[in-house]
Amino acid sequence: MIYTIFYGFTIGAILYFISIGLSLTFGTMRIVNFAHTLTYTIGVYALITLIALFKGYFILVAALSILIVIPISYVIERFVIRRLYGESLDYTFIATFAISLIGVDAIKWIWGVNPYPMSDPIGKYLMFWGLSLPIYRIIIIIIAILLFVALNIFFKKTIVGKIVVAALEDKDGVRCLGINVDKYFSIVFMLGSALAALGGVLYAPISSVHPYMGLSILLLSFAVVIVGGMGNLKGTFVSAFALGMVMAITARYWSQGAETMVFIVMAITLIFRPIDI
Amino acid sequence: MDKERADKFYAEEGTEPSSELKKVPMKDHGVIEFIVIVAGFLLITPILSTHRVTDFMIFCIFAMSFDLLYGYMGRLSFGQMLFFGTGAYGAGLFIKYVSGNPLLAILIGILVAGLLAMFLGLIIVRTTGACFALINLAFNHIGFFLVLSPLRKITNGEDGFGVSAFNLGFLNFSSRPIMFGFVLFCLLLTFFLLKRLTSSPYGVLIRSIKEDETRVRFLGYNTFLYKWLTFVLSGSLAGMAGTLTALNYNYVNPNAMDVHSNVGVIFACLIGGAGHLYGALVGGVVYMVISNFLPIYIHRWEMFLGFSLLIITFRFRKGVWGYFQGVWKYVLKRKENQALMAKEAIRK
Repeated sequence: MIYTIFYGFTIGAILYFISIGLSLTFGTMRIVNFAHTLTYTIGVYALITLIALFKGYFILVAALSILIVIPISYVIERFVIRRLYGESLDYTFIATFAISLIGVDAIKWIWGVNPYPMSDPIGKYLMFWGLSLPIYRIIIIIIAILLFVALNIFFKKTIVGKIVVAALEDKDGVRCLGINVDKYFSIVFMLGSALAALGGVLYAPISSVHPYMGLSILLLSFAVVIVGGMGNLKGTFVSAFALGMVMAITARYWSQGAETMVFIVMAITLIFRPIDI
Repeated sequence: MDKERADKFYAEEGTEPSSELKKVPMKDHGVIEFIVIVAGFLLITPILSTHRVTDFMIFCIFAMSFDLLYGYMGRLSFGQMLFFGTGAYGAGLFIKYVSGNPLLAILIGILVAGLLAMFLGLIIVRTTGACFALINLAFNHIGFFLVLSPLRKITNGEDGFGVSAFNLGFLNFSSRPIMFGFVLFCLLLTFFLLKRLTSSPYGVLIRSIKEDETRVRFLGYNTFLYKWLTFVLSGSLAGMAGTLTALNYNYVNPNAMDVHSNVGVIFACLIGGAGHLYGALVGGVVYMVISNFLPIYIHRWEMFLGFSLLIITFRFRKGVWGYFQGVWKYVLKRKENQALMAKEAIRK
């Protein structure tokens, strides 16, 4: 049971990395971004390519692959997302879905369809009261908590963060102050994409890598964002860990039902608290 | 839109509308439409194969069911495949376990899909926009998972199962021309049913819901009921398309409920022009031609699909049918202008 809780925390941490960007893009730009986990997939594939070049430097390679994602996400933001501000939701859906189609196909083109196996880069276990917990997973959880603290500081103390939080509340109000909101949205978008890539890079060694990996996790992170509230940073944190726990506990008793249980939770949430968008 | 809404409003209230509002907006070209559709599908049959065109027509029914939801009521769903798959599985399982009667199987398929839509609609219809799309997606995912894994014993999991219906008089569904005729009949039935519905006050109402639901509620309508009805109707029609697919391929597998196939019908609806039945027909055929023949010539056809979706969203919102309409209107206007100018010239 302790293992289950532990695994739940790991999945929750990964879900948190990915859904924070989704939640921010929705909260600020009112765009439901289907292309969000494209950056996650790209990050993973960059990691695979680079790790063949620099064997043994996992941290360096991870940092590099996150850096690679940032210009790609800028291109997506500049040429597609920025044109969608103020459009009806249907078109934002379709356009971002189109980007993810293009991206996934490009990945298939470059790297092929076959899944890549990856192994745990640390591979050691922490012995603890008779339990053996993989250190890698512990590190993931610690990074998630650190990130939560860091993001809170970022949004409370720095001027960029404050502008973004203000824009979450009232976009037009911020614009009236003479601030170029679009520039900050672009920053938020890149930040979110980089965090998704971080999630991908951390998750890839303990899961399988294939071109469609983004789509399956995208649905999960949508569930996280909806349960936590769109644009609600603390809610996203809590719901990511809660849903991670739901997945782990379901998987313990009924391994195929893990993802479905998340959607059932999401459906129940929507029934009792529909979001009007 | 406002004019139609006003029309409806006046009709309800019993007050006398001005002469302009009294004009009937839709002209009835039933016979011509009938001939055009039948001739259109018959004409492409020799070029492609009968089996393919049957498949196209089934997809057109599916596209029309989606168009009712998206084009007319303005609710984008990412889970229409759920009802398609439910229809296919309903009919397939009925034939496999109960009886081989194809017509009964189709009825059962539609009924099952409709019942599912009735039940889920109570939950889904309360939401709008992003939530509507995502909750549909979630249910579609649950459905896909259900057929794949917990119901494996009945549905045979990933492998699917064969469907063989027995012959019912002259209705021999294994013969291609008869299948073709039957699907064409179903297509026409769906088309004229939807045409009748969408040009009735009910159609005006659901289009008004697309424009502004709050105002429709102010007019005193129970919008929930109408949205639910539309959802159920759309689900049942999608189920019908599913049952026909099962009979056409004599085979059902979880691909019929695949979450990722939803993009196809959205694309079809958009490229044809959302909010027109003709748009759904044209879009269905165009999409099927693209998805059937393009992969032969272009290897990266998903990328092509993505780029064309982007172009549609940014430059070509009205779709093929909307474009034709625009051109037609322009031609008519030009003719009118010329006639006016000629009159002026004569007067001078």
